[in-house]
Amino acid sequence: MKQFLLKFWGHCVRLTARWPSIGSIAPFIPVIAAWWIVTELQIFPRVFLPGPMEVVRSFGSLVYTGILPAYLQDSIVRLAVGTFWGIALGIPLGILLGLSQRARTALWPLLLFFQAIGDIAWLPILVIWFGYGLTTITVVIVYTVIFPVVLNTVLGVRSTPITLHRAAQSLGASRIRILWEVVLPGALPNIVTGLRNGLSYGWRALIATEIIVGTSGIGFLMFDARRSGSVVEILLGMIILGILWYIVDSWILAPIERATGQRWGLVTR
Amino acid sequence: MKDLTIRNLSKTYFDPYAGTNVTAVHDVSLKVEQGEFVCIVGPSGCGKTTILNMIAGFIPHTGGEILVGGRPVKGPGADRGVVFQSFALFPWRTVLENVAFGPKMRGVRKVEREKIAHEYLALVKLTEAAGRYPAELSGGMQQRVGVVRALANEPDVLLMDEPFASVDAQTRMTLQEELTRIWQEKRPTVIFITHDVAEAVFLGNRVIALSKGRVLEEISVDLPRPRSWDALNDDARFKELSGRVLQLVRSA
Repeated sequence: MKQFLLKFWGHCVRLTARWPSIGSIAPFIPVIAAWWIVTELQIFPRVFLPGPMEVVRSFGSLVYTGILPAYLQDSIVRLAVGTFWGIALGIPLGILLGLSQRARTALWPLLLFFQAIGDIAWLPILVIWFGYGLTTITVVIVYTVIFPVVLNTVLGVRSTPITLHRAAQSLGASRIRILWEVVLPGALPNIVTGLRNGLSYGWRALIATEIIVGTSGIGFLMFDARRSGSVVEILLGMIILGILWYIVDSWILAPIERATGQRWGLVTR
Repeated sequence: MKDLTIRNLSKTYFDPYAGTNVTAVHDVSLKVEQGEFVCIVGPSGCGKTTILNMIAGFIPHTGGEILVGGRPVKGPGADRGVVFQSFALFPWRTVLENVAFGPKMRGVRKVEREKIAHEYLALVKLTEAAGRYPAELSGGMQQRVGVVRALANEPDVLLMDEPFASVDAQTRMTLQEELTRIWQEKRPTVIFITHDVAEAVFLGNRVIALSKGRVLEEISVDLPRPRSWDALNDDARFKELSGRVLQLVRSA
């Protein structure tokens, strides 16, 4: 065991030297070590707090049986579908509200009213309307994602300097072209921020919804594990949530941010 | 390029804080010939930027008329190119794409409009910067892009709103010399707004002194071209003209 760990450590050091991005894993090492020590010292009964190795083993068996990949896929597809609609509805609505004072006057109170009714608060009535299915889950996620996207898009549209609109107009741009050439790119850094917030809320809403109405997915996995008293699987579910979010942020959101707002000098590096 | 006629132009708006109507521009008439370089000079709040914004069509005028090549101005249009004090380059477009923006809106094909943009960038020695984003350039370079972006669209009239007010003094002198050189080469009709008397006299064929929304006096500048600061700094005629304009602007 000791020899294995030493070898593993040596391997990690070489790997990190070759790919510096692995360095972002380093902060987790003391956390895992502390967890491991606490469980080894048997401060809490094993049933209440299993060690890291047991979680890894449970991960292996759940992957082997195919349950985890299937659940993971379900959760990600639900989030993707919900996010897609959240963006597809949220950005145009945000642009409309950002550009039109009249639309703002008419819709702003409604927006705030419905924002106050939290996502989960819709579940009881959604279950009655749509049953325990994808529709219910999608509606909840769209509902969660859309508010941060809309509010940040409005902010982005309104904070684009008027001189940019004027420059485009006096260079001969039509209103439609201005929408595409000025309004949308001008709002993009804020839209990404809204998306980042929206996705993180959406992710939490998804898990909560799966716990209540789900028949599969990571949230369901955790809730099901609670029923059978498997703390290992609950911990595994929590860890997967963290890792997945990290991946979504650093592989999708951060690169978009680097390629747009940062590149254009609108957001400081 | 076309001429510009302004007849009895005025702008009155309601000031909600004062609770009264304020007249920012008062019965201004002006005729700018095709290919002429006219500077409007005056202190802050004299209405010079308001006049320019009305010519550009960004804000409506409340009296009189503005004619470009005989046609009345109704809102912004590509016949009047604008150079802004804040540069107003599109941050998400490269330097080349910024300069090619006007031709792109006209529907000029990509190869063609990039050729145009390259030509204009060469005019201000920015060929190297074509692929960079505005945020990566110095203020002086950004405003060079701003000037050629407006020119590349071949407007009838070029409107410049204190374009060199936000660059440092040395760069400003270089930009002024470059502008006179470009003007001589392309001969656009220019209206140049500034609060800097020396700048107005250095650049213009004619200087219009403005105060409290009224034209005080028009002064013809008969200095020879090409103009450079080295030659004009100690020039007696330049000093005399600047002194006169300064006196006008300050006494009002």
